[in-house]
Amino acid sequence: MDVKTQRSWLVVPMSKPDAVAQAAKSAADVIVLDLVEFVRDEQKLVARESIRAAISVASAGGAQVFAQIDPQNPEADLRACVWPGLSGVVVSRAESAAQIEAIDKNLLLLEKERNLPANSMGMVLALETARGNQDAYAIATASTRVRGLTLGRADLVMDLRPEPSGEIHLMPYLMERLVILARTIGVTPLGAWWRAPDRGLLATAENTLQAAQRGRAVGFKGALCLRAEQIAPLNKIYA
Amino acid sequence: MPIVTPRFVDQAWRRGCDFVTLDLEDSVPQNRKDHARTLVKESIPKITRAGTYAFVRINHELMQADTEAAVWPGLSRIKYPKTETADEVRALDAVITRMEKARGIPAGTVEIDCGIETALGVTNVYDIASASPRIKEFGATNGGYDMSRDLGVEMFVPYDQFVYLRGESELAARALGLGVRASPFVANTSGSVSDGNRALRQAEAARACGFRVGGGGLNPAVVESHNVGYTPSEADVRDAHWVLEQYERLAASGEPWMEVERRVIDRYEAQRARGTLAWAELCAERNREKTEAVARVQAQMAAQQ
Repeated sequence: MDVKTQRSWLVVPMSKPDAVAQAAKSAADVIVLDLVEFVRDEQKLVARESIRAAISVASAGGAQVFAQIDPQNPEADLRACVWPGLSGVVVSRAESAAQIEAIDKNLLLLEKERNLPANSMGMVLALETARGNQDAYAIATASTRVRGLTLGRADLVMDLRPEPSGEIHLMPYLMERLVILARTIGVTPLGAWWRAPDRGLLATAENTLQAAQRGRAVGFKGALCLRAEQIAPLNKIYA
Repeated sequence: MPIVTPRFVDQAWRRGCDFVTLDLEDSVPQNRKDHARTLVKESIPKITRAGTYAFVRINHELMQADTEAAVWPGLSRIKYPKTETADEVRALDAVITRMEKARGIPAGTVEIDCGIETALGVTNVYDIASASPRIKEFGATNGGYDMSRDLGVEMFVPYDQFVYLRGESELAARALGLGVRASPFVANTSGSVSDGNRALRQAEAARACGFRVGGGGLNPAVVESHNVGYTPSEADVRDAHWVLEQYERLAASGEPWMEVERRVIDRYEAQRARGTLAWAELCAERNREKTEAVARVQAQMAAQQ
């Protein structure tokens, strides 16, 4: 994986099939097909069934494709998404080294079963909980597949809200901690320095531009986003 | 409050506080430490007579003697300043356990509240926070005088000089599932401990960030600010109801999120709204409880006269 061309990571819910085709036409460097965050339980089966075709659709425009999976019960998600065309998985709410080791093993089995090169699937870990951040070092070093770390939607998952200064509570600390840790173990820190009123990766193009400028200044090398209009500013700033 | 000042202790129940900390530490001069210890037993019922919880702040270097003097029925919590290692916490826990048994207090009643006030404490913060099941709340409200002195940093500056150490404390508290005590940065360049307006701004900022536990104050002038600042306003409650109405529409639509009046509505916003409503209920209940307790005490006093 070439870090330089992974400036913008557009997360697309697998609950919205139309959105995948739209995403393929965008300038996103990476498309993350989400099976967790935006997919309700009753939608899971359909989402898993449709992801193999979605990988082809998403990669048609030249983007790398990742799948966001649930570490609580990864087997079904991985079995659904590990197919040619997939570059790796984003592990939502990563919380323990044991989870990451289990996912690593599972990936190896599927790579073998589906004639994919061993260890070709990468991992990006979303540290979105307090436990995940507290134990970040052990978690991030649990597999050699780990390529990147992000705080994902930690502001929402940990319920972190804006302070009077406009900073989102605790995020300046968590961001700097993540950057140091990522560089210590030699993986890519992904994120942007969001401020009020931005929340959970949803922001206007203008605010995304500023968040990316601040993010780049503290060491982030690309960022996740949820809206098509956020892609251009991320590609511009993280170039 | 200094336990050696009887007029403070005698009047404390009238102040409307959720808790009062009887101080054996910095507000008590060295030559009165022995005397101060003898006052705890009689002071606790004075504090708690109208619904206020009693805490005692001990001296770090006099931990054993102070704790033995402080653990009496009615005590809710020992505040342990300048905690630096998990072993210290375990030693304190052992003394409390022994005194609870000796004085007929149900085991595990008395909580421990660790003050992180030195660099070494910050370094060991996760081990400290996980050292005893008596620790129910943890975190850092402000850097504090002792931390400033230990690190040699200025106390009253218009920017957040304690991002790292407060982050370390808060992350440990959250990871361990403890009650999180934190205060968002609000510039305090005066250092006044009796400025009710500043205290209100600070408490409101904390409430806006979702926090519910105050660190306490040093002057009765800030009690009302804390009580009001940590309580959801009528506008907060109205807004929470509005968010939940929008969320019902969202749930019916099957979309993961939507925007209404330039605000995002999703399950996280719904969760916050439910939390606000539940907290407003708890605050109202606590206010009733305290008002009734004060009225009861006043009626008793009137009857005695």
